[in-house]
Amino acid sequence: MRKVLSLLPASLLLFAFAAGCSSPGGNGGFDNGRTVALFTREEGSGTRGAFVELTGINEDMSAEASVAGETNEILTKVEENTYAISYVSLGSLSDGVKAISIDGVTPTTATIKDGSFKIQRPFIVCVNPEKAANELVADFISFLLSAEGQEVSGSSWIKVDESAPAYAASGLSGTLKVGGSTSVEPCMVEMVKVYNTFNPDVNIEISGGGSGTGISEAKDGVVDIGMSSRELTADETASLTPTVIANDGVAVIVNKENPIENLTMEQVKDLFTGALTKWSDVG
Amino acid sequence: MRFVFFFAALTSVLAVALICVFLFASGVPSMAEIGFLDFLLGAEWTPTNAEPRFGVLPMILGSLYVTAGAILLGVPIGIFAAVFMARMCPKPLYRLIKPAVNLMAGIPSVIYGFFGMMVLVPLIFDLFGERFGLPGGDSILAASVLLGIMILPTVINIAETNLRAVPQELYEGAVALGASHERAVFKVILPAARSGVMAAVVLGIGRAVGETMAVKMVAGNQTVLRLPHEFLKGARTLTTNIVIEMGYVEQGSLHNGALIATGVVLFVFILLVNSLFSVLNSDKENRLRRRAAPKGAVS
Repeated sequence: MRKVLSLLPASLLLFAFAAGCSSPGGNGGFDNGRTVALFTREEGSGTRGAFVELTGINEDMSAEASVAGETNEILTKVEENTYAISYVSLGSLSDGVKAISIDGVTPTTATIKDGSFKIQRPFIVCVNPEKAANELVADFISFLLSAEGQEVSGSSWIKVDESAPAYAASGLSGTLKVGGSTSVEPCMVEMVKVYNTFNPDVNIEISGGGSGTGISEAKDGVVDIGMSSRELTADETASLTPTVIANDGVAVIVNKENPIENLTMEQVKDLFTGALTKWSDVG
Repeated sequence: MRFVFFFAALTSVLAVALICVFLFASGVPSMAEIGFLDFLLGAEWTPTNAEPRFGVLPMILGSLYVTAGAILLGVPIGIFAAVFMARMCPKPLYRLIKPAVNLMAGIPSVIYGFFGMMVLVPLIFDLFGERFGLPGGDSILAASVLLGIMILPTVINIAETNLRAVPQELYEGAVALGASHERAVFKVILPAARSGVMAAVVLGIGRAVGETMAVKMVAGNQTVLRLPHEFLKGARTLTTNIVIEMGYVEQGSLHNGALIATGVVLFVFILLVNSLFSVLNSDKENRLRRRAAPKGAVS
């Protein structure tokens, strides 16, 4: 009796594992009638902010969407779940997922540059009037917009000025504090490396904290230059001067087994607000 | 030299005191600003909306569900494992099981999280996804199963220690009266170690309530108010609410304050669990003293 009892859970476990292992890779079929699995970034994320604003989802993001705290987690979830849909910064796209076209436009650096891919956002630096008068701040911003600075923008993101003038070393020295969006941060780190080859005596400290933090700290002068990965609001531009230093696309991604190639902006909105729930609803 | 030891002891007390002061000083005012009832019983968490809402009830329930699930799955397995290891296990097998359990305790939670994300979540999706029209395997169930595994070493080790502490006379007495080995273990030894085993369960609860990283990776983290029968859907716990949103929050904002206030609720949770542990422990000491007394009188 005891043996039978102990064999029962063991065989159940074996069965469960066999069932689990056989199906994911095995059939490979994509069932159109299945529920769409929404994955979204957390409240306050710059990528989420830009995505919901540009697609018109705004505050109506479906409450049923699973929340992941970082880009890599989003990528893994979409790789693992056949019926998933989510969004990431174009610079973070990986081979494990499929970026789909929106209104027939594929997200590439070219389509973002000519504006035909609509889900894009600027990388912005902002300064308050007092800091803008500072010689060093002005010099650094002129570098960001120079040919050398834009070269960095063009490496993983998109240049805002193709024919920017070359930068000449100013020979200044001092310390600059730059803080804000963690999406802009990797771009800024590269920019600073190049800037320091021109002006090695300038010490630039970069801190993260998010777009909101960057904007409020730039306003208060806690940092010299604030970084933001979203457009500034009218309120914010009243006290800050924004400068766009690069552009970044937000790609809508699905699992590789998903046959879908294109969605309209309206369909993306309806999927993420929960108005459409099945893959068959979008063809 | 004694001063050094005293200072070392003081450090831990000081750390707890400082954390308490920080949490309550910055959390309670935010809670008051939101409104205590709106915060604790509010069903909506939309911190970045134009009219933000900071209701933490979905997270309180989420924490309760995953913890209850973990207890349901982890405690029976843990106690049976402890009984086996303490009273039935052949020596060679014990030398294999004991280190394995200790190793389990040492695995970082992010590794458990990875296992959950790559194995448990797809497994749950494959087993139930189609039948119930689920969007994915990220769910209360996934978090419960994972936590059930994670609390095993805590439960097993403490329960085993307590089972071994039961005087051998009790076992021998039971066997002398004609009980089989199993009967003696389950009807005499296990009840005698009851409060110690309960303490093991309570510590397991503490571990489950406080776990963050692994839960975040498998729970789905939706801030929707769930009912118990919706355990195949995702939910957010108190711990994950803090860790997910802390990175992007504006310093000094009400959102930031609300996250610290979430920490206060979590702290109160842990405080309750720990007091329960102390109560059970003192109960055990009392009973041991009572048992020892007549024996001393005879000899």
